[in-house]
Amino acid sequence: MTVAVGYLAGKSGRSPLYLGAEAARTLKTSLTVVTVVPRPWMTPSLGRVDAEYAEYAEQLAANSAKQAQECLDSIASGLEVSYHKVAHRSTSGGLLEAATELEPELLILGSASEGSLGQVVVGSTADRLLHSSPVPMAIAPRGYRGSKAGGLTRITAAYPGTPDTLHVVERAAALGERLGVPMRVITFAVRGRTMYPPEVGLRTEDSILEQLAAHARETLAQLKTDGVVGKDVELQVVSGNGWDDALDAADWQDGDLLAIGTSPVGGIARVFLGSRGSKILRHSPVPVLVLPG
Amino acid sequence: MTAPPLSLSQQLWRRRPVAGAPVAHGASDHLKRSIGTFQLTLFGVGATVGTGIFFVLSAAVPEAGPAVLVSFVLAAVAAGLSAICYAEMASSVPVSGSTYSYAYTTMGEFVAMGVAACLLLEYGVSISAVAVGWSGYVNKLLDNLFGWQLPQSLTSAPWDATPGIVNLPAVLLIGMCMLLLIRGASESATVNSIMVLIKLGVLLMFIVIALTGFHADHFHGFWDKGLAGITTAASMIFFSFIGLDAVSTAGDEVKDPQKTMPRAIIAALIVVTSFYILVAFAGLGTQDAAEFGSDEQAEAGLSVILEKITGGTWASTILAAGAVISIFSVTLVVMYGQTRILFAMGRDGLLPSMFAKVNPRSMTPVGNTIIVAVATAILAGFIPLTWLLDAVSIGTLVAFITVSVGVIILRVREPNLERPFKVPGYPVTPVLSVLACAAVLYGLRWQTWVVFGGCVALVLLFYLFWGRRHSALNAGGADGYIPTAVPGEDDVMFVEEPKDHHFVTKHKDEP
Repeated sequence: MTVAVGYLAGKSGRSPLYLGAEAARTLKTSLTVVTVVPRPWMTPSLGRVDAEYAEYAEQLAANSAKQAQECLDSIASGLEVSYHKVAHRSTSGGLLEAATELEPELLILGSASEGSLGQVVVGSTADRLLHSSPVPMAIAPRGYRGSKAGGLTRITAAYPGTPDTLHVVERAAALGERLGVPMRVITFAVRGRTMYPPEVGLRTEDSILEQLAAHARETLAQLKTDGVVGKDVELQVVSGNGWDDALDAADWQDGDLLAIGTSPVGGIARVFLGSRGSKILRHSPVPVLVLPG
Repeated sequence: MTAPPLSLSQQLWRRRPVAGAPVAHGASDHLKRSIGTFQLTLFGVGATVGTGIFFVLSAAVPEAGPAVLVSFVLAAVAAGLSAICYAEMASSVPVSGSTYSYAYTTMGEFVAMGVAACLLLEYGVSISAVAVGWSGYVNKLLDNLFGWQLPQSLTSAPWDATPGIVNLPAVLLIGMCMLLLIRGASESATVNSIMVLIKLGVLLMFIVIALTGFHADHFHGFWDKGLAGITTAASMIFFSFIGLDAVSTAGDEVKDPQKTMPRAIIAALIVVTSFYILVAFAGLGTQDAAEFGSDEQAEAGLSVILEKITGGTWASTILAAGAVISIFSVTLVVMYGQTRILFAMGRDGLLPSMFAKVNPRSMTPVGNTIIVAVATAILAGFIPLTWLLDAVSIGTLVAFITVSVGVIILRVREPNLERPFKVPGYPVTPVLSVLACAAVLYGLRWQTWVVFGGCVALVLLFYLFWGRRHSALNAGGADGYIPTAVPGEDDVMFVEEPKDHHFVTKHKDEP
């Protein structure tokens, strides 16, 4: 078992490497840096132009490996690091191929570079993988440089309270126990937007939010009663006017990890991120772990 | 639940406490005093100019003749006065802002149920009637654009004047709105402004074009229908002024409410009324009053008038398209209102608790929304409701009268209550408001009273046999909530205030 990091020189920065090194260290396993390069044509061409292309791809892979190595040398001393090159037509396809081949414990990607620092931004590659990865995925916020504590200090599981997402809590709890880190479970309650029908008033959504939160508290309390989580697990209902508000309101700490689940689609165990999951993902200030349903 | 120890009369008159009435966290940071007169006026215009004007003429003009212009003024006065009273109530009673909760906090459970009945009737009928009106404009649009219409059997209810099987477009519209509401979609402020512009734009176009075909002759016999005709028409027209009270409930967010509120209400009222009167005036100039009631104009009336004047279809196509878009948004908003009122009643224990159940996945009251959609779709699809349009008015008028009386009651009972906004000219204004509403009510047809009485009686019977035994106030919870019995619930921390904490960096959309 290993932790795989998707990395390409010039793309998405070094944040996935930092997260990868941290994860590998925490999970006490090796780190594999996966680089996907364009696949050259298989048919020999006149004047061997494809050779130049192949050389370019080769170069790209070597560059990426070199850069990754430079970075990892400083942050991942003592870790067993290997480099894996995949030639594929698409980056996401290549990463999927690598995921099937290496069977990593975790596949780590960085954020796309167009968002602001500190925010999780899902690029096209990550987006496709978030809808097809056979293994759990983690996304690093843009510009992530590891926690000051040097590792995981808490796992936060986002639990919407539906029975089919209970597995997130169970798995996060198991992970927390294995790694010996504290855990909390959060249910996000987001206020709906108000419309202005006659004689209803502007605050009607507040009572809906309140009801939602009250129900969420019960469901969360039930987790302890049922013994899904231990007695010392922190339970929180976090409400907000929007997802950004709610995510902000949940107090984050250095070395936090947010775990979210996905609902099973089509009976195959894989990551398939829903609309709410992606909202949480996009507003998270900490690395996000996405578990397949 | 065991039989409550209260006597019946104590139950009927018990009130939901004002203090401790829940105001959830979500409100706190979005209720900033930031709205000025201008924005508030636009807000009021946006909430008021709805679908009413698109089909009210065909019903009201035959009743009052050209004097329908006076009916508009009468309806406007009643709407304005009640909106001002509503504003005081909204500022002094910090509950969710519906007439139902105001009645509950000031006049007790029994009256609250009566008001709830008014609201249910108002909303139920108006969703269905609006959906039916939409269907008329959709068909008109299809006809103009493609020269093809849905067959009569699919656009009329079985008991219409020209019977069909089902009003399919109306049912579809309600279905679409249901899905949107379940998904938690809402009309954003931007969409709302666009809708207002569309509505005002097409109405302006109507006015300009209709004035080109203006003949003063059509105004002969202005007073022929007499006072009775005028009040009857006013009671129908009142429907198109509903929504003005949205201004009143914005109180917490308004800068200097004592000045801003009445100004905004009056300004919005003037804008809306002038638009309506101009539409009616321009429309009346084009044809005899009797023609408004013709079969041809019963559906998509304004479009038909434009067609007659221009001799072409372009103007009527634009108007129909504007109506189709804006009526869609109105249906969404009105249906939303209906579900939220039922939600409040379910939460208070006066309806089965399933109405107050919020789906954790979509974060919306799903079961509630489906029930509303099914009920209104049946009404819209199979029962011709256009003749019941004034049932919308009756519900609203009675609710408004209750609010105005409530203002007086609250002033007498709790004179020292803090009121950020006070009705100017108390006690004359609330009394005038009651009188104006009563004058409009006076014009309603007896059939409407029968329907209204039946509806209220039904709801009150339901209350006597079911609601009063299940009211959340029975459980003794001071804020009207049934405490949960799940052990260990106190362990759950409830994060209320968004803390200004950023782990790495601020979000870019924050200052």
